[in-house]
This record gives sequence, structure tokens and C-alpha cells, in this order.
Amino acid sequence: MLGLFQSRNETPRLGTLRQLALFSTLSRLELRVVDGLLHERRFLKGEVIFDEGEEGQALHVIITGRVLICRQGEPETGRITEIDTGVAFGELALLENAPRALQARAAEDCVLASLARSDLESLLDTHALIASKILLQLARHLGRQLRDRSLAIERTPL
Amino acid sequence: MREMRRANAGTSRYLSSGPLFWVATMVSTTLLLVLLKQALWLVVPFLLAVILYYALFPAVRRLTLSGIERETAAAIVSGGFLLVAIAALVPTLPWLAEQAVGGEEAFFRYVAGGKALIDRTLGMLESHFEFLKQMDFHAEMSRKIAEFGGTYVQEHLGDALLGAAASLPALLLAPFLAFFFLRDGRRFLKFLGESVPNAYFERTLYMIDRVDVTARAYFQGLMKLTLIDTIFLAVGLAAIGIPGAFALGLMAAVLAWVPFVGSVLACVIVVLVAATDFPANPWIVYAAIGLFLFVRLLDDFVFMPLTIGRSLHMHPLPTVLLIFIGGAVAGIPGLILVLPLAGVVMVVAGTIGGIVNDPRLRARHAFSKALNARRVTADLHS
Repeated sequence: MLGLFQSRNETPRLGTLRQLALFSTLSRLELRVVDGLLHERRFLKGEVIFDEGEEGQALHVIITGRVLICRQGEPETGRITEIDTGVAFGELALLENAPRALQARAAEDCVLASLARSDLESLLDTHALIASKILLQLARHLGRQLRDRSLAIERTPL
Repeated sequence: MREMRRANAGTSRYLSSGPLFWVATMVSTTLLLVLLKQALWLVVPFLLAVILYYALFPAVRRLTLSGIERETAAAIVSGGFLLVAIAALVPTLPWLAEQAVGGEEAFFRYVAGGKALIDRTLGMLESHFEFLKQMDFHAEMSRKIAEFGGTYVQEHLGDALLGAAASLPALLLAPFLAFFFLRDGRRFLKFLGESVPNAYFERTLYMIDRVDVTARAYFQGLMKLTLIDTIFLAVGLAAIGIPGAFALGLMAAVLAWVPFVGSVLACVIVVLVAATDFPANPWIVYAAIGLFLFVRLLDDFVFMPLTIGRSLHMHPLPTVLLIFIGGAVAGIPGLILVLPLAGVVMVVAGTIGGIVNDPRLRARHAFSKALNARRVTADLHS
């Protein structure tokens, strides 16, 4: 009955969101709910996205472009990693309720989809299924990062 | 996650504080009240719309989850509420009309009942205290009360009733406004978040969340307090034996939305009812006054800290000052609005203060502007 009111078209915007690993397991309806919560931000190459020590209020997913994660104020010498399109970052500050551990800068012009901490919490309260799918993807993402780091350490000659 | 949020709210370095912050909050709240005074007729429907918004929001969210567009969900929920309200109102219309016709007669009957009670009490006092008898206290007070009733009340009662009747159509705005809050509220917040520069984005997200949490906690707290007051007063008044205990309890609980004045007015009304319906039994009146004092104390020390008090986190001194300012600047609507308004202003002023006092954020914004300027003028230099 309620299906009568449902829109059946998947907009290009939802198609773009589905390409992002964090939201890849969501259904069309769930994506639409999440889309209502996302803020789109555009950063120019070199612009600071967040500083080390800041209180994290959002996690970000790269829609286009790349983001550099580095030590505060050391984009060249303190480079930690570079994140590609479709990947999430800034999630640790939200999960641990800790200040940002590193600085994030736009490595090139980029567009980010940002999910506010309060919206993620409200998803947990009201749309537990969506929240659990997103958090599962986050856990996978963190697991992959951990595995990559472990492999990198193993391969480093003593 | 919720615990994390509480900890985050309590320890955030995002909000500035201090004497300057409090002065800014009070001045901004006063200025907003001065502006609101120009549209007082809109204040009550707006307030009701906000309460309706927070009451209907869970239903809209539930429908959105089941796959319905937000616009459609807001229309279904608002329309459903309107239908239920009309269905509830239609059967009570004849009763309301009857009350309206007999309202003036009932008003003067209850005033006469109250006057008789005062007469009896003054007479009793005079019979117990000789010095009052020598002052002719009873006759003097009766004369002043008669003067007050004959001039002030009769002059202003008509105006007050006409004013209340004129503002009734504005109440129809409440469901209309609530519908738009439900439909476009999220879009507006998103628009607000996206309209700020990148450097201030996360602070703005924090501010929007705190404003929502503060307003939601205040209005939901107010509803809980109204329910608790209604139950306590209705049970208490019924136990004393006063007729229409539930209606009187509900009216008193709603009047308590107006700080200080509302509770006193509600107590006066219940005393008038008791004095008129039980002219031979003053102990019922004293018991009603005792009940009001008891519920007032429970409110101040138990219920209010558990409901509304948690939402604003304000020190009692500025709270009392703000209530006086609200009453002086915008009368009764000012009294009702001043605390939630101050709660919102406090969050906004704190966030703006935090940004102004953070040179790093301002430098990041300046750097971003410089990057943009360099980008748009790149071809002009070659």
C-alpha cells in the first residue's frame, strides 16, 4: 500500500553514492534516506579539510579527487597516505570521540560527501538497519587498513 | 554512541563562554524579543507549530524509512493530524459554544464567589486580631476590591476577550507552519550547513545539532512537565473534591508555561472555583492552595530539573534575569519564549564566539579565499 507513494527512479546522484564503498550495500530507499543527510563540500587543491587536534564532527567520503593525510603542517615530509575516490576518512575521530589524529588536505580539487556525527547517531536511533550497514562497511574499511599496515610492516626490512 | 555524544556535548571546546558571552547572549535575546514584539500574533502559532513539529516528527521519520518521499510523508502526517483534530473538535463544538455564551455569566459568578471568600477571610481575621478591627481593615479592603472590580476589570476584560478572540484565526497557522517545518526543515538545515565556508563547516554542523538538541529537549521537557503537572493536579483536586478536576489540572499545567505569573493565575482560578462551588467550606479552598504550593515545590525541585532544566544548562541567575527581561520587553509571550530563545541564542553566540576566538580557523578561511582568488585570476596574469 505504502509502495504506491514510493518513487521508483534512481537519480544520477544516487548512482554516484552507490559507487562509494561506504554506501555500496544500501538499497535504493536507504540510499535516499542517507542522501538527505549528506552535505556536499568542494575543496581546492591544497585546502585544509581538517586539522590535527580538532574535534571531529563529520566523516567524509571522497566523491571525486584525492585527499592527503599528513602530520600537522607537513604535507611534504609528514605524508602518511593519500586517499582515492570512493574511500571514507575522518571516521576514527567519530568512533573514538577523540580529536583528529592527523591533518587532511585536498591533494587535488575534490568533492566530498560529509556525514555529520549527529546524523550518524540519529541513524542508529531511527534507521538501525542503515546505520548497521554503514558501520559494517566502516569496520571492513578499518580492517583492510589494519591488514595493509601489518603487511607493510612485515615487508619492511629490519 | 549516545554516551559519546553526551561527553562531546559536555566537553566541547567549540563553545566559548565567560562574562562577555553571557552579556552577548542576554543582549541578543533581548533584541530578538524586541523584534518578536512586532509580530506577537505570530508567536503563539509559531510556538504551537514547533511543539507539533517535535510531536509529529517521529511519524514522518517512520514513513520516510518505509520508502515514502519526505514531502509525501509530511503531507500524510500533517493531514492525518488535522483530520484527527477536526474529528475531536466537531463533537465538542456545541459544548464550547454553550460555554462561550455562558462564559461572562460564569466569570462574574466565580468573581463573586472569590469576593465572598475574601470577605469571609477578612471577617475571620478581624475577629481574631483586634488591631485589624481598629484599622477597619475589612471595610477598607472591601472598598478597594470593589473599586478594582468596578473599574480595572470591567475596562480591560472586554479588550482582553476581544484580543483573545481576534488571535484565534492565527492559531490555524500552527498546523500549516508545522507541515512546512516537517517537509523542509531538513532541507533548510542542509542548506544552512552548505552555505558556510569550508573552514567553519564542522563547527556549523555542531551548532545546528546543539540548537536542535536544545530546542527538542526544551519542548519535549515542557510537554512532559505539562503531563506530570496535569496528573498531579487532577488527582489532587479530585481527592479534595473539586469538580472538573482534570480540566482545571490541564488548564493550570498549560498556564504554567508562563513562568511565575501562570502558576499564580491558575491557583487564583482554582481558588475562585472552589470558593464559588463550596461557599460554606473554606477548608477546600485552603487545601487547593496547599496543593498548588506542593506541586509548585515539586516542579521547582524535582520535575523541572529532570525535564526542562536539563535542556538549557543555564545558571539560575541569568535565567531569572532573562525571565524579567522577557516579561518587560514582550509581556506574557516574552515570558514564555525567553528561555527557549535564550537557549538557542546561547548555542549560536557560543559557536560564533568560538570561531572569532580561533585564529587558526580564520587563517584557514583566508587561505581558502586566497586559493580561490588565485584560481579565478590565473589567466589574467599571463
